[in-house]
Amino acid sequence: MSILEYNGGAVVAMKGKNCVAIASDKRFGIQAQTLSVNFEKVFEISPHLYVGLPGLATDTQTVYQRLKFRQNLYELKEGRSMSPKAFCAMLANMLYEKRFGPYFVEPVVAALDKNNEPFIVAMDLLGCMTTPDDFVVNGTCSRQLYGMCEVLWEPNLEPDDLFETISQALVNACDRDAVSGWGAVVYIIEKDKVTIKHVKTRMD
Amino acid sequence: MILANTESNSSLKSHNTRFNPYDDNGGSIVAIGGDDFVVIASDTRLSTGFSIYSRNQSKLFKLSKKSILGSSGCWCDTLTLTRLLNARMQMYLHEHNKEMNTPALAQMLSTMLYYKRFFPYYVSNILAGIESDGSGWIYSYDPIGNVEKCKFRAGGSSGVLLQPLLDNQIMLSNLQNIDEQPLSLEKAIKIIQDVFTSAAERDIYTGDEIRIMSITADCFKEEKIQMRKD
Amino acid sequence: MFLTRSEYDRGVNTFSPEGRLFQIEYAIEAIKLGSTAIGICTSEGVVLAVEKRITSPLMEATTKEKIVEVDKHIGCAVSGLMADSRTMIDRARIECQNHWFTYDERITVESCAQAVSNLAIQFGDSDDDGAAMSRPFGVAILFAGCDEKGPQLFHMDPSGTSFQYDAKAIGSGSEGAQQSLQESYNRSMTLKEAITLILTILKQVMEEKLNSNNVEVVTVTPDKLFHMFSKEELDQALENVTPLIKDEGEASTSRK
Repeated sequence: MSILEYNGGAVVAMKGKNCVAIASDKRFGIQAQTLSVNFEKVFEISPHLYVGLPGLATDTQTVYQRLKFRQNLYELKEGRSMSPKAFCAMLANMLYEKRFGPYFVEPVVAALDKNNEPFIVAMDLLGCMTTPDDFVVNGTCSRQLYGMCEVLWEPNLEPDDLFETISQALVNACDRDAVSGWGAVVYIIEKDKVTIKHVKTRMD
Repeated sequence: MILANTESNSSLKSHNTRFNPYDDNGGSIVAIGGDDFVVIASDTRLSTGFSIYSRNQSKLFKLSKKSILGSSGCWCDTLTLTRLLNARMQMYLHEHNKEMNTPALAQMLSTMLYYKRFFPYYVSNILAGIESDGSGWIYSYDPIGNVEKCKFRAGGSSGVLLQPLLDNQIMLSNLQNIDEQPLSLEKAIKIIQDVFTSAAERDIYTGDEIRIMSITADCFKEEKIQMRKD
Repeated sequence: MFLTRSEYDRGVNTFSPEGRLFQIEYAIEAIKLGSTAIGICTSEGVVLAVEKRITSPLMEATTKEKIVEVDKHIGCAVSGLMADSRTMIDRARIECQNHWFTYDERITVESCAQAVSNLAIQFGDSDDDGAAMSRPFGVAILFAGCDEKGPQLFHMDPSGTSFQYDAKAIGSGSEGAQQSLQESYNRSMTLKEAITLILTILKQVMEEKLNSNNVEVVTVTPDKLFHMFSKEELDQALENVTPLIKDEGEASTSRK
């Protein structure tokens, strides 16, 4: 079993019309044993910028803390907030620094850029980026998520529809993965607000 | 012993690459059973690694008037298994003077797979059949004969991608305030088409064409739908 | 005739010039020494009855089993060499379970009878392990069962031939019993009537007096499947028998 699947978990992000959504499950476990059901893998970096870090739980936390560290330095030095593009470049660089002893996380970034355009990125554990124009998935049930998203997603979804689409995709995919699920959290990022919704799921 | 080792060091190396009797030729199967019908579909791509053997190979086998088997995985095992199945069904017909019904066929397939417990047929089987009361049911198997009777199933290389979709679209899991209506054959075929399009998008072992076979009380139908071919 | 016989009647795998296998014919003769067993098939179910010869008052009658359950839906009545019958019943039971294991369904009565017939003709030729049956089995069997075709009765003799019957008698009293069956049987009779008829005929052909200790009755019906009559049920069934036989009216009351 891959070390990426040791704790379980999944993250998905989707583009909508003038909005973007990112969602993760809430499970934390060691292999088949569930230890916690409120372990969130999505973090706020700035009001319109969120990152999801599925993978090895210890690296999820370490990478998030190191990201915060570097972001703070950047903002102090530059005196301005990070753009999503800069943040992704920084994250990719940070991961690639550990090319031969990587952090076992596969990040997903969701943001609205300065023009309030939706922005999503997925990376592998070495920092290789991909920027499709529909959705990105990562984590232990990424295959299930691909199947769900490929059918459910459509262009120009309004925030409410985007929420329904992303939560159906995540929840149904997690139901077919033994190490993901146990609750989910969805962030809908719009120009003037971010809505956080906790989705109830089956707990087995 | 040590001498022998040093002498045959180079030949030892070639001995270590053991013959691997299995290949994964990909392919996906989806089957749905309704109150009065059963429908099963497969793609027609046959591949190994990054190369494609065929773009026109259905993975469906009509075993009797009431049952169809979908079989994907190691194609040579599929061929052997289906030939053996046909032979066993013929023997049953002669021995018991009746056509094998779907539950009997399902059980026989399970035992046939289990008899090769330690050198299994490397195949993912899905059996779709009409039972004595006219209802459609699906039996899905693992390579060593575990069988589950259910109403819908996705298997093969895209099974993982498609199963949660079927849960959502057919069982209506995680959906609220929707009254469940009996699934019609037309709706089932529509769903199958959708899920295969989705699979072809993300799975390189699934594509080219969908072959759909359906059985109802009075008719057997077969149709083809084109998919992306890259 | 006698001369020809003495030359050809020993080997089980040699035909006589007239084309006969004497050992099989003798085996069929052996059945006629066995206790009587009768089976009647009705649309409601099949009934089997056998007489148990209680050869000694010290013998435990209940240990003499002549009707056995082969599967939940098939029962067998045997007549002839009881020891031989064990082998055949074992085979029948194995075939039934094997069919269930492989096909997850009940074996048909016909297939069960056919499977045992295959065993019956396997005498003479040596098996893989060299342990072959050296002679024909000295047993005739009545298979009673209910499958998707409904209640059925099959008969098999030592030659391995099996046929379906509406009603059939085997064993020492079979000739008389078969005659009576032919006279009294009709396809529309109820199971209850069949039970009464079967006991009536058994009573006629038995040397001993019929009572609940020396008879075994089994019914195989679509809902209750194999059912062996208890002593109480037997007594109850026997009460219906006595009045039918007019000339024995007094004798039977005094016996009680």
